[in-house]
Amino acid sequence: MFEGFSESRALTQTSLVLDHRHRRQELELKKGNFRTGAIAALCALLLGALPLIAGAADSLQLSDYRGKVLVLDFWASWCVPCRRSFPWMNEMQQKYGDDGLVIVAVNLDNDASDAAEFLKAYPAEFTIAYDPTRELARDYAVEAMPSSFVIGRDGTIIESHLGFKVAKTEEYEAAIVSALRKQP
Amino acid sequence: MAATKGQSISVSLASATCALLGGVTPAAVQAQEEPGWDFNTSLLYYGEDADRVQDLSISVLATRTFMDDRALTMGLTVDALTGATPNGGQYQAVPQTFTSPSGNAVFTVPAGTLALDDSFRDTRVAVSANWTQPFSRLYTFDAGLSASKEYDYMHLGANAKISRDFNQRNTTVSAGFAYAADSLNPVGGTPTPLTPMADVGDLSNRIGDQDKDVVDFVVGVTQVISRNLVVQANYSFSDSSGYLNDPYKIVSLVDGITGDVVPRTPAPGLQGPSHEYVFESRPDQRTKHSLYGQAKYYMNGKVLDASYRYMTDDWDIDSHTVDLRFRWPVGERSYFEPHLRYYTQTEANFYQVGLVDSVPLPMYASSDYRLGNFDAITAGLKYGWTTRNDNDMSVRLELYQQRGSIPADRLIGSQVGLFEYPDLDAVILQFSYRFGR
Amino acid sequence: MKIFVLVASLLVTAGCSSMGVEPWDRDVLAKDEMQLTTDALEAATDDHIYFSKEASSGGRGFGGGGCGCN
Repeated sequence: MFEGFSESRALTQTSLVLDHRHRRQELELKKGNFRTGAIAALCALLLGALPLIAGAADSLQLSDYRGKVLVLDFWASWCVPCRRSFPWMNEMQQKYGDDGLVIVAVNLDNDASDAAEFLKAYPAEFTIAYDPTRELARDYAVEAMPSSFVIGRDGTIIESHLGFKVAKTEEYEAAIVSALRKQP
Repeated sequence: MAATKGQSISVSLASATCALLGGVTPAAVQAQEEPGWDFNTSLLYYGEDADRVQDLSISVLATRTFMDDRALTMGLTVDALTGATPNGGQYQAVPQTFTSPSGNAVFTVPAGTLALDDSFRDTRVAVSANWTQPFSRLYTFDAGLSASKEYDYMHLGANAKISRDFNQRNTTVSAGFAYAADSLNPVGGTPTPLTPMADVGDLSNRIGDQDKDVVDFVVGVTQVISRNLVVQANYSFSDSSGYLNDPYKIVSLVDGITGDVVPRTPAPGLQGPSHEYVFESRPDQRTKHSLYGQAKYYMNGKVLDASYRYMTDDWDIDSHTVDLRFRWPVGERSYFEPHLRYYTQTEANFYQVGLVDSVPLPMYASSDYRLGNFDAITAGLKYGWTTRNDNDMSVRLELYQQRGSIPADRLIGSQVGLFEYPDLDAVILQFSYRFGR
Repeated sequence: MKIFVLVASLLVTAGCSSMGVEPWDRDVLAKDEMQLTTDALEAATDDHIYFSKEASSGGRGFGGGGCGCN
């Protein structure tokens, strides 16, 4: 009964984003203070692809990742399974980086210093982005912490995963591999 | 559910039937621990005033968390008990002599003092094991076993629980079940209820070992209200059946006019009770219903924990418990936590000061102060800190006070001047050390 | 008694489904001191003592709350 309720909420969000296709999202990168702009492309798997639209010149744009397989991972410093997902994501980035895999881990902490402490204990060899306003998290209808989205070379969301379970890492890796193999 | 389980009647500080699922929740279930070991150890001193019960207890709770939130929790508790406990006898203007529970000796209580039986020294060992298994992302399943043993009491129990999350884990619904099969073999044999306390060596009214079964069922909802507030509500049902008496407690037979306990002479050449006492009798069945609510509220680093429990049963006992804790951090690595608890209960419908000897005995009667009408307050302070190697230590000191009463119209003759409810004053001192990996 | 049951069941119906926080807002709830049972051993000790000295027992403590991860 309650699962159905949260699904319908996700669909409502989807249609809102479709209406605001040209809305610009901004992600802040702490180092170097870049202003990043990106449009969140949101769809449930049902709705198919949405184009990512370019933002401001000096910002990190998700459209930059067209042609690459992008894994967008939402995390926070207090999320215990994230302590296990980071080493695994390092492994994936190393293993498949040359094949075109880019991992971007989006931090959802209120306070960036908490994120910095986490990163000291669990260093990341992939890109970290910050979403303190949680606009990107809302656009992607993040339902669990952590959540990850595998976005194909053409910018469509191929798969999403709720949570991180060590027992499922083979499944997660297979999703990446199949995304890498798909011709755009 | 892990930690200490088992029940004893032999001494006042009986072990909790933690087959009641409300007892202990392994931390791994909700906080998603990292894989590894977590050890929670404690040393407890419990002491009542005036030569009454003292208990020294060591506990260890070891949790091994595996990948993906599966966990095994194992508990071990060892208790050593000494001291005297009220046997149900009343204050009298003359000394009273009782036969000891074993039937081998007598002990005498001075005039004007609370009748205490101090023939117990006991050691209890309790063990438990619990497995936590998440499945299908939103479900968690727990199963556990418990056992305890002391000189005259043994407990065996099993429990299981299932939880399901809803609303992006803002809501959790849980249901649990526990079963306990306990057995008693009181020292000297189980006395037949309502038979007289006999002379030394007379065990004619003793029967064999007794059993007691307890079935518990709990359902609960936990709801996240806001970023800083989480609440919980539970309903519990408990059914005990079998031998529910305390085999060492008596009820005095009193004169219907004077209210004095009826004197008695032991058989020639024997030692025995100086007055007429009968062993207590409780129903062989008890059904309890409880409603419990708890809220935890975070206020800028401080945490308020407030809970309320209402219990009612078919012995006509009603109770209310209000429990408040306030955690006050001091710096980054320590905290104070004052604690206040208020408890009140009404008496069982068979609670008696004494039984009039000229009237036929009722089916059930007990003078056990724990079944009477009383209020209790606990006030305590806990101080906790993180050690240099990042482990947690804490110490808490609590004072527990029970004050009971009985309406004057229930007292007969001299009881009006002599009766005092066996009030309780106790100190709780506990050291905890938590470490892991 | 009936009111309690009604309130409890209301909590699990429509009322609950709109209450709560976003998954990323569980930082406070994830803290050790915000778990419903903070110290399992202390809770067990208290249950043990009060069971021995009073006529009521248990009733409390289930899972839920916390960081809501995975």
